[in-house]
Amino acid sequence: MMLLLLPAITMDCNQECICLLSLTPGRRLCLVAALLLLLVGAQALAPSHHLTARDLARLRAALERPFTDLQAAYYSIVGLHSLGLRVADEKAACNFVKSHVDSSSVDSLFYAAQSIRVLSGCEVTISNETRELLLAAVSEDSSITQIFHAVGALSSFGLPLASQEALSALTARLSKEENVLATIQALETASYLSQQADLSGIVEEIEDLVARLDDLGGVYLQFEEGIETTALFAAAAYKLSDHVGTEPAMKEEQIIQLMNAIFSKKNFETLSEAFSVACAAGSLSHNRYHLPVVIVPDGPAAVSHHQPVLRLQVTNVMSKPLTQASVKLDYAKSASTKATVLQQTAFTLSGEVFELNFMNVKPASGYYDFSISVDGDNRFIANRVELKVKVSTEVGITNVDLSTVDKDQSIAPKTTRVAYPAKAKGSFTADSHQNFALSFQLIDVNSGADLIPHQTFVRLHNQKTGQEVVFVAEPDSKNVYKFELDTSERKTEFDSASGTYTLYLIIGDATLENPILWNVADVVIKFPEEDVPSTVQSKNLFVPKPEIKHLFREPEKRPPTVVSNTFTALILSPLLLLLILWIKIGANISNFSFAPSTIVFHMGHAAMLGLMYVYWTQLNMFQTLKYLAILGGVTFLAGNRMLAQKAVKRTH
Amino acid sequence: AAGSVGSVVRRFLAEYGSGTSSRLKVLDAYLLYVMLTGALQFGYCLGVGTFPFNSFLSGFISAVGSFILGVCLRIQINPQNKGEFQGISPERAFADFLFANTILHL
Repeated sequence: MMLLLLPAITMDCNQECICLLSLTPGRRLCLVAALLLLLVGAQALAPSHHLTARDLARLRAALERPFTDLQAAYYSIVGLHSLGLRVADEKAACNFVKSHVDSSSVDSLFYAAQSIRVLSGCEVTISNETRELLLAAVSEDSSITQIFHAVGALSSFGLPLASQEALSALTARLSKEENVLATIQALETASYLSQQADLSGIVEEIEDLVARLDDLGGVYLQFEEGIETTALFAAAAYKLSDHVGTEPAMKEEQIIQLMNAIFSKKNFETLSEAFSVACAAGSLSHNRYHLPVVIVPDGPAAVSHHQPVLRLQVTNVMSKPLTQASVKLDYAKSASTKATVLQQTAFTLSGEVFELNFMNVKPASGYYDFSISVDGDNRFIANRVELKVKVSTEVGITNVDLSTVDKDQSIAPKTTRVAYPAKAKGSFTADSHQNFALSFQLIDVNSGADLIPHQTFVRLHNQKTGQEVVFVAEPDSKNVYKFELDTSERKTEFDSASGTYTLYLIIGDATLENPILWNVADVVIKFPEEDVPSTVQSKNLFVPKPEIKHLFREPEKRPPTVVSNTFTALILSPLLLLLILWIKIGANISNFSFAPSTIVFHMGHAAMLGLMYVYWTQLNMFQTLKYLAILGGVTFLAGNRMLAQKAVKRTH
Repeated sequence: AAGSVGSVVRRFLAEYGSGTSSRLKVLDAYLLYVMLTGALQFGYCLGVGTFPFNSFLSGFISAVGSFILGVCLRIQINPQNKGEFQGISPERAFADFLFANTILHL
């Protein structure tokens, strides 16, 4: 968007305005102007969400559910009223409200009062006790919700209310309750109070609340409490601003972001959510300060010779057409060449839609950037949009020449002209000493200008094997498309498969209304014999592949069992030797005293050895340590005793 | 030269037989047994390869560890070394030997 505005500025200045190197005073001024407008352009955020007719129907259906209780009745009745709709059966609604009101509850009285005020022909008398109850609720000791409901009920019943007292109670309460919902309810309450009271303190809360909104990606602005709170805020802010007569302190961009957030919710889980969105929609369509404008094309934003008129729907947030507005095209530029084709033209109102016949200026096919502005009411915001419009056309192929060109250039090329959509008679041959060539031109049928579409393909399809090869035809400097098939160069693409190929020409583009698939001719291609492949295998990717067998890890080489067994016997031989030596030396157990500690020691020691074996076969370290601690402790004590006795015996 | 080596060995054996107490000889026999076991294991590993390596390691290290602990016990028990091991009675040395062996084989 900013880049679009920059050319707009340079249209007034010289083309060299953008160049920073040469800054003469005149050009410097240009650049400053460009920068300023860049900043302005940067704030032009377009509304992304609004209540379309279908959304409105859904919202209405959500609000028109049968009443379950008084609060539901309030939401439905007042919600529908905000949308400018009436309840289906007003008498039944009135009776429902009157029968369900609870005179001892301030909330119930509030819901009843608001509903009755909106319904026509609904009257109720208020007893003195009810009035006293409501007046007593307006005090510093009640919560803000209580004060809000009491003030709202008193005001809607038409009962006298001490505004100054209410205001002071409200301000005192606000300093204690800092949450967002309470502040919003304070705004609503203030809108019922007399204008004589000094409501500026409450009005300032609007700015504080705006500061608390979360910016989501620069597109949405909402409270972290959710859409419902955001919608209630929008409704309350405008209600209070209208009442007090001061413009709410919100920037245009913020209002659009609020709008995007509130109307992004298309399905309403609860009745209160539907009610809040309805109130927001109502307040954003009827207030004294800001009216967001929604500009959407009616159908696709495309024009062509069959459909030369660009239709726009210019509505408010509730999709109600703003037939009083004047819609103007500021400029229409080609997206590719940036040349302005039209500027300062007004749209005409036809029914509820604004129209402009764009084909009158005979634009070339392609995309155009439109800048549209809506005026007529200085409350309009978001009234400038950028729109991308497509201009389509039809393509025609002319001067199609098929020829076989001799490589040695000894024979003159034979050229055959073909007209679309006929097919060339006879077939053409391309082999080792002649190439096949194709040339054609593409023109815009309506304007006669040369066209360069995105897709200009030449497709060769082998009838026998089903192979197809696609080439791109390139235009030369005079916009004549040429394609040449040299068999020696293109061997690999064809897999050297000789045979008859059908030639198709494929022309396509987004701005063409008639894409073309044309069977032009048959071409017999002969490849040199030495490269004939065994068979042309159709590269079928979807057959099962050869199975991979899993190779298990081969076990390591082991020595033969005989060797291992021999060695095991060998290992035991030193033990034998040991026993023999011991006997020879004369080791004996003659000193073995059968004292209890000795026995215990030996038993414990044997048990520990047994535990080692069990550890090897069954236990893990932790269990072993546990048992070892027990056994070891016992053995240690016994052993200590035994050895001490031995020591005593020795020293004696 | 061969003769002197032979005579040295014979002399050593004679002195050993008479000079060492039987208790020490018992220990020495044990040490010889452990050493032979360890050597045999190592020779087997060299011969047929290191599979399974874990088994070889545990067996060999157990043999080496036991040998070392046995040597420690022998040093501590030997009455000729009493001067260096003042606070440690032979019984204490034996208890240490048992404890250390338990931990080693854990």
